[in-house]
Amino acid sequence: MEILETKIDNNVLLLAFKGRLDANSSNAAQDQVLAAIDRGEIRLLADLARLEYISSAGLRIFMMAAKRLKPLGGKVVLCSLSEPIKEIFEIAGFVSLFPIHPERDEAVKSF
Amino acid sequence: MDQMLVILKNDLAELDRLAEATEQFGSRNDWPVKVVYRLNLSLDELVTNVISYGYEDGAEHRISIHFSYHEDHLTLVMQDDARPFNPIARPDPDITQPLEERGQGGLGIFLVRQTMDTTEYERRDGRNVLTMHKKIQREVPQSADGDTGNKNR
Repeated sequence: MEILETKIDNNVLLLAFKGRLDANSSNAAQDQVLAAIDRGEIRLLADLARLEYISSAGLRIFMMAAKRLKPLGGKVVLCSLSEPIKEIFEIAGFVSLFPIHPERDEAVKSF
Repeated sequence: MDQMLVILKNDLAELDRLAEATEQFGSRNDWPVKVVYRLNLSLDELVTNVISYGYEDGAEHRISIHFSYHEDHLTLVMQDDARPFNPIARPDPDITQPLEERGQGGLGIFLVRQTMDTTEYERRDGRNVLTMHKKIQREVPQSADGDTGNKNR
């Protein structure tokens, strides 16, 4: 599991997830995402194009980040979900918790 | 009839091996990729629960998962010697709640229930035994025409 961070337009921090996000890799991923919030990043765009797998341990990271960001006036936006990943977000009822965009460009503009 | 027995240590790093085994079994039985993904997710959630909350002695334990597939019917039997835990006794989380009220727990088991047709729990001889069933149709290989039409090389 790898998360590549890039500061992009619109003061957005792009988090490009790559690999498998399960209970084994979720602690490190969660630490990285929460550390970004602690540094003051409040506009997070998670690009999941290269995320191969996610379990509930991974889903929780996004929920936790969104919960922390809400009182700070920030948000988590997701983009480029593959079909199986999108299905998991749907079954878990997570599609109502985050704005989800098919393309990254469109997602950047949505902040 | 195809069968496979996977034995895992109580270490979260074993989740990779579980995923590989599930993918291999699914692929040799022509299961749709989406089904393999959901089964892998379900087993991951169950094994993660056992490894994370089932043991207090810090010792090494074994978790076994037996796959058997026969006439479009998959039976999974997962056994462990962790403390008694019936995952299906948990109420489902309310997935319609807004972010502020959404809890952390129960999501993994909910995903299992949404995937399996039936799930039965039993405590037998000091072991948790979870038996699950799911109907899975093999993916019909594409016809010669369809195959040719989809080649984009």
